[in-house]
This record gives sequence, structure tokens and C-alpha cells, in this order.
Amino acid sequence: MHRIRRLSAAFAVTGVLGVAAPAVANATHLVTISGATASYPLVSLLAQKYVKTHPHKLKFKIAQGGAQIGINDVAAGRVTIGDVSREPQTSDPAGLVFYPIAKYAICVITNKANPLTNLTSSQVVSIFTGKLRSWSQVPGATAGGTIDLISRTSVAGVLTSFQSLLLEGKKVSTIATEEASEGLLKQQVENDPNSIGFVSNYQADLGGVNSVGYNGVACNKSTAASGQYAGIARFNEVTKGKATGAAAAFIGWIRSSSAARKIIASQWIPVA
Amino acid sequence: MSVAAHNPSRGRGRRSSPLSWRWGDRLVLLCAWAAGVGLCLIAGAIVIYMGYRGVEYLRPSLIFSRPQTGTSQAGSGGILDPILGTLLLTVIGIALAVPLAVGSAVWIAEYGQGGRGRQSLARVVESSVEVVAGTPDIVIALFGLAIFQLGLFAPLSFTAEGGGVYGRSFLAAGAMMSLLALPPVFAATRDGMQAVPAHMREAAFALGKTRITTIRRVLLPSVRSNIATGVTLGISRIIGDTAIVLVLLGGTHQIEPQNSVPVLGLLRGTGTALTSFVYENSPAGEGAAPQKAYAAAFVLLMFVLGLNLIVGRIGREKPLTSVV
Amino acid sequence: MLERLRTPWPDRRAERSLGALSLLVGVGVVAMVVFVGIRAWPIFEHNGLSWLGPGGHLETQFANMQATGVDAPASAFHLRAWPIVYGTLLTSVFAVGFGLAIAVLASIFIVELAPERLRRIAIPVIRLLASVPSVVYGLIGILVLVPFVGNHLITASEKASVQNTVELTGAGLGVTVVILTVMITPIMIALICEALMAAPVSWREGAIALGLNPLRAVLAVTLRAIRPAIVAAAVLASARALGEAVMIQMVSGGRFFTPKPTDGVIFPFEPLRTAASTIVDYVDGTGAPALRATLYALALMLLFSAFVLSIGGYMIKLPLRKYQTRG
Repeated sequence: MHRIRRLSAAFAVTGVLGVAAPAVANATHLVTISGATASYPLVSLLAQKYVKTHPHKLKFKIAQGGAQIGINDVAAGRVTIGDVSREPQTSDPAGLVFYPIAKYAICVITNKANPLTNLTSSQVVSIFTGKLRSWSQVPGATAGGTIDLISRTSVAGVLTSFQSLLLEGKKVSTIATEEASEGLLKQQVENDPNSIGFVSNYQADLGGVNSVGYNGVACNKSTAASGQYAGIARFNEVTKGKATGAAAAFIGWIRSSSAARKIIASQWIPVA
Repeated sequence: MSVAAHNPSRGRGRRSSPLSWRWGDRLVLLCAWAAGVGLCLIAGAIVIYMGYRGVEYLRPSLIFSRPQTGTSQAGSGGILDPILGTLLLTVIGIALAVPLAVGSAVWIAEYGQGGRGRQSLARVVESSVEVVAGTPDIVIALFGLAIFQLGLFAPLSFTAEGGGVYGRSFLAAGAMMSLLALPPVFAATRDGMQAVPAHMREAAFALGKTRITTIRRVLLPSVRSNIATGVTLGISRIIGDTAIVLVLLGGTHQIEPQNSVPVLGLLRGTGTALTSFVYENSPAGEGAAPQKAYAAAFVLLMFVLGLNLIVGRIGREKPLTSVV
Repeated sequence: MLERLRTPWPDRRAERSLGALSLLVGVGVVAMVVFVGIRAWPIFEHNGLSWLGPGGHLETQFANMQATGVDAPASAFHLRAWPIVYGTLLTSVFAVGFGLAIAVLASIFIVELAPERLRRIAIPVIRLLASVPSVVYGLIGILVLVPFVGNHLITASEKASVQNTVELTGAGLGVTVVILTVMITPIMIALICEALMAAPVSWREGAIALGLNPLRAVLAVTLRAIRPAIVAAAVLASARALGEAVMIQMVSGGRFFTPKPTDGVIFPFEPLRTAASTIVDYVDGTGAPALRATLYALALMLLFSAFVLSIGGYMIKLPLRKYQTRG
């Protein structure tokens, strides 16, 4: 009786170890990523393609939160790579390395019921800094009433890039509603006829909102690729120190392989 | 409960008609009716509206297909993983809560009466359960985050390649869910044990049984329905909770086991539950798919309604202790 | 070894094991307070208790915490979270206030006034209201109530009148209080109904014998007799209202704004944040030490409030106990 019980216990233990051992032997490395909501669609597609072309090498867990969250997480060592949709700032922690992987355009968007075709740079500045508060003061706008400014929370890289590229370095007014992600900003603009906001060209091209030209240049992939459009920013992958191991493999693949380039070119602009 | 027996304003006899009352009393009468009927109407409206939306958006194919892994759920993709995630969390939570709750309740009911030291410990334990019952779920979630991101608990989730313990997994969320289920099970068991008439214990002792055997063989079986009610209430709290799932489950669209070890890999993995799925697809989360949110919310509501019915059924069964 | 588990345990071993389990529960709660307190300490260290008070622009303070990230200087920990405290108090006080009135009236309806068939429907229906998950309330709020308020109740001129301070979108104090009231009223109804049914009948019979009509008898006599239960109901509901996180995050508008009652009609439309909803909003950002300390400080405040409410409710009930007799 006792011997049977002891034997069965022994079998159970070896069984578990036996299953576990080969799993441990070729353990896939887990790459965790967090950061910008604007680059999330791109990085998800890239990660999926990487897993398909390099099976059993890497596994990815991609979270969002905003570019600053990515910077803080990677600096604290909590994630392997940070997605950042802006250039390095002086306030960023030391020791971070930025690897640009794609370019994107920042488009000003309004509701479809308010088909504004163009805004000059001074108009954009007055609207977003809160000097102009009523649509009646904006020529070409069919909406009436108060301008509902929809912006991003302070952690957004797109916000920082927008402020430096299209807002002449000024800050968006504090009156603006702050949304936590690109998707939410676009949704808010879709639902509110009096709203105006800014998103990456990927979101604007998804449809449902009206893309506004800047200084006479429409905002889309071709004007961004040709460099005509003024508001071009870069997606960066950020690591603490130079990328090593799994991170280096992934980032290297993004920057060099043709499959990755094809994905980037589909909705965004390749870097060089 | 016979209300007529204790209520002198019901039953036969002369009733004063409201038409003869003062205006103030008539106003209160109107307000009381409005409050009662109004709440029933609100509840009905919620169920009917969610039912309408659910029937509109929920198709059987949704229940059996997995969510898309992409950014938005607006296209194809179902709600299978959230349903499985909710079930898994419930199993983990109840498995951890029931031994703890029943054990403590039994201790308090049976052993916690005698002696100064034991009584103060009993009071401490009861107060602790009260504190847990009153703690907001978001605080429990933050507590979970604090514990499971310690290096000590790295085996319970996983470690990122930069050295940080991820701290979010089914085990982490399930362990905190057990804190949610603990108070209902504890209260139900304790009340049940205290309601067992003394003669049952005395009869067992007279037959020479030890205390622990009495508990195991006589008392616990007689409070089965109480424990069942408590467990059902606990399950209801677990499946309805959102904050813990949002913070501690990792938020991946599909259930992703950590590695290929059969059970442990799943427990250490991340995933989604019905509540977080509804949140993420509503305009508060990534928001692009309110239809999916409605469908998942409808399934959630059906689960909750079902559990409510079960509690009602169990409550109506006569427990052994009522036979005197 | 399994043999040892199967033979009946001696009483002492069983008692010790069960006692250890019970102790585990107590230890767990202490651990919770300790962990949350330790993580929250930096905020108290840099601000003392004045972090609960007003001063400066809260949005800037939060942005600063996240911008400075991992190498947070002491200035990053500066916090004056009055808008959060105010928002929490506002929603809870209104919800519990309205809810208590509705709960008392509804309980009187269920126990005294409703015909038998209606009561048989009302009781499970009210129990249903209590068990609807908060995310479903939030979903209905954000998909039905908020657009309704935003598009039909807020006029363009009202929006324009505050356009230089805040944007009104429909999500705000009003919708939050309405849904929160519906959420916490069933809890209070359950307690008050139970107390109404257990109240001594003879007192009410005496009042009726003296000529009061039945409803007035209930109001004048029974309600006074069940005051401890009403207090307990209010306390339990307050704890629930304080802790509600996800539903409020979905419908409250998500801004660090202090709604001003002097704004009149616009007051219910103004956005706000509560402590719990702030935690949900910023929980991704625990990588920044200053923000992490802030969130845990808010959690500690919630824990402390729930604790104080329980103790306070208990102490209020104590002197009233002498009025309760088993009629």
C-alpha cells in the first residue's frame, strides 16, 4: 500500500519535471514593451511578423500608457523596450538609447460635420492655446459655438511632438479635455461636432474624422513622405543602455529586414 | 416572514383611508410609492436595455471564438477568452478563500469562546474580516501590485528582460479575488455555525466524539447550505469586480500562458476577464467596439442573474438546524 | 504520510491549525495596511498632511511627477490633492444623502405599503440592483446617460459661459451622483427593511391607538426606533460610495476640477475626479516613484476612511442600543 503510494508520488513528480524540462531548455525570451499609444499598432504588427518569421525565439507583451510611461518603465528596468513617439528631451533619464524606427505625421482633425479644409499655423496656435474659443472666429468652419479642444494627457509623446512642431513650442491650453490615448482622442472628435484635436496620420486615415491641412499642405502619408508636411515626428524604440540580447535582435530586425520595412511603409513612413 | 402578523396596519379592521390624512402624510405616501416603484422600474430598465443590446449584439459565434489580438475589437473576434478568464479567476479565488474563511469561522465559532487570549484573537480576526469587507477593491488591487512586484513573488508571475518583476498574472489577480470572497463565506459560515443548536454538539460529545470530529462530521455538513450561500455571494463579487482585473491581470486580449507547463504556465500568464473586456471596449478603454462591450456585459449580467437565482433557491431550502 | 492526514486529528492539533488560519487572516490585513503605508510614505515625508489641502495646479503636479520619472528630485513629490479630496467628498455626500432618503422611503414602501404581489416582485428586484457589476453601470452611464446629458441637457450657451475654464461634455458630477445613488441604495434598503421588520410592534400599535394614521405611526415611532440601523446603512453605503472606482472613472469626466455650487445650473455638469477614479486613471504610471507614492497615499486615505467609517458607525450605534427592545 505504502509502496504504491510512494511510487505514484514519484511518478507524478518526474512527470511534471519531465514536461517542464524541455520547456525550460528552449525557453523563449520574453520581451515586454510599454509606451506610446501612437506606435502601438505599428509595434504590434512588427512583433506579430517577427514571431511568424522567427518561431520560438521571442515572445512579446506589449502594453501602452503613453510615451512617458515607456520612458519611465524602461529606465526603471520594468520593461525591455519603451515605445516613444517623440525625440529625447533633456528631462529624460540618463543612459537611455533611442532607436528611430519610423516617421509619422501629426494631423489636426475635426468632426466630419465640420469639414475645415485648412488652417494656417497662426490659427492653429490661437486655437490650441485657447485664444480663440468660438468657431465663429474661424473662417471656413461650419460648426458654431464653443471650440471643444481635445488633447492628450501629459505623458503622450504625440503631444510633445505636436507642441514643438505645429504649435511653435507653445503649450496646449489647460482648458482642453485630455484623452489617454490616440484612439480615445479620435473617438471624442468623431462624437463631438464642435471638437478639434490632433492624431497621428494612421488614426486620421482610419476614417471617421476630417483631416485639416496645415499651411496649405494636406496631411497624409504622401505629403509626409515627401517632406512637404511640417508636422513629421519619429517613433523611437528606447532601451536602457545599448540594446542587447532579445531587444537587440528585435530592433535590429526592424531596422534592417525588408519584411519590417514593408509593414512600416504600409501606413507610416520608413526612416531613410 | 409574515408581515401581516406584525403589521397592525394590514389585515382586517378599520383602516384610515389616505384621503383623510394630512397633506404632509399624503406627500410622504406618494414619495414612498414613487421610491419603491421607481427603483423597480430602474432595475427593470437596466435588465431590459442590456437584454435588448445583448440580443442585438450577442451571437453564439461570439461566445466560442477568441478575441482578436490586434488593436481594436471592432472587427471579428469573440469573447471566449474573457469568459474563460472570469471562470479561471473565480476558481482560483474561491479555492483560496474557502479554506481560509471556513477554517477561521469554524475556529471562531468553536474554539474562540473560551479564555481571554482566545477571545481577543477572535475579536481581532472578526475585525480584520470586517476591514477586508469594507476595503475598496482598488485598494486591494494596489496591495496586490505591491506584493506581487516584490522579487520574492517573481515565480507567481514572470520577470521582464530588464529585471523587473511583472507582477501581473492570473495567480496575482486570483489571490486578491480571494480577499473579495473571504468576508461573505466567513460571515455565512460563522452565522451558520452559531445557529446550530447546542443539543447537536452535546449529543456528539455524549457519544464520545472529539471536538474536531464533531465539527467535521456533524456541524459542517449541517451548515452546508450556509457555506453554499456564502460561496455564491463570493462568486458574485468576484465575477463583478473590475478594478483588480484591470490592475493585476496584464490586459492582453487573449489568455497568454507564461510557458508551456500545463497548469502553472496558465496561472502565471496574463489574460482578460469579462469585466475588463467590457471596460476596454467601452469609450473609457480603447473604445472602438461598444457592440462587443454590450455583448460581454450581457453575458456578465446573465451570470450574475443566475447566481442570484441560486442564492434565492438555496436560501429557501430548510437547513437542518431549523428542525428542532 | 497521507495516512497521518486521514486519521482523526487530536483536538489540540486541529485547534492550533485552525487558529493559525485565523491568524493568517489578521496578519494579511495588517500586511495590507503596512505595504500600502510604506509605499505611500514619500508623499507624507515631503508634504506632511498638507498634501490633502489646496494649492497650485494639480494637473501640473501630476505631469511633473511623470516627467521627472525615475530620478525624481524632492520637488517632484510636491502634491496638493484638494480637488481629489473635494471630488470624493462631493460624490459620496450627495449619493449617500439622496440614497438614504430614497432607501428609507422605499423600505417603508416595501414593508408597509406595498400589496403582497408587488412586494414579492420588489424584493428580488432590489437584490438584483445590488448585484449588477459596477462596470455594467458604467457602460450604461457612458453610452446612454453621458451622451443624453451632453447633447440634450447642456445648452450651447451654458457651454460657452464656462468656455474659458472648463469643457462640458456631459460626463460629470450629475451622472456620477445619479448612478452612484442607484448603486448604493439597495444596500441601505436591505438593512433598513430588516430593521423595520424587527422593530417592536407594540410601540406602533400604541401610536395607532392614540389616533395616528398608520403611515404617520411608522414615521414618528418606528423610524426613530431603528435609528441605529439607518446609521449603519448610511455608513455601509458611504464605504461603498468611497470605494467605487471604475464606474466613476467612466462617467465623471476625468479632470482635476472643483465643481462650484455657485455655478448654479452648470454645477451638476462639471467634471471631477475622486480618489478611487484617480488611481484607476494613473495606475499605468507606477513606474515613476513620485506618482506611485501619490497613488498609494490616495489608497491609504481610502483605507483610513473606510476604517474610520466602520468605527464611527459602531460608536454611534452603541448609545442608541438602549432604545432597542425586543417588542
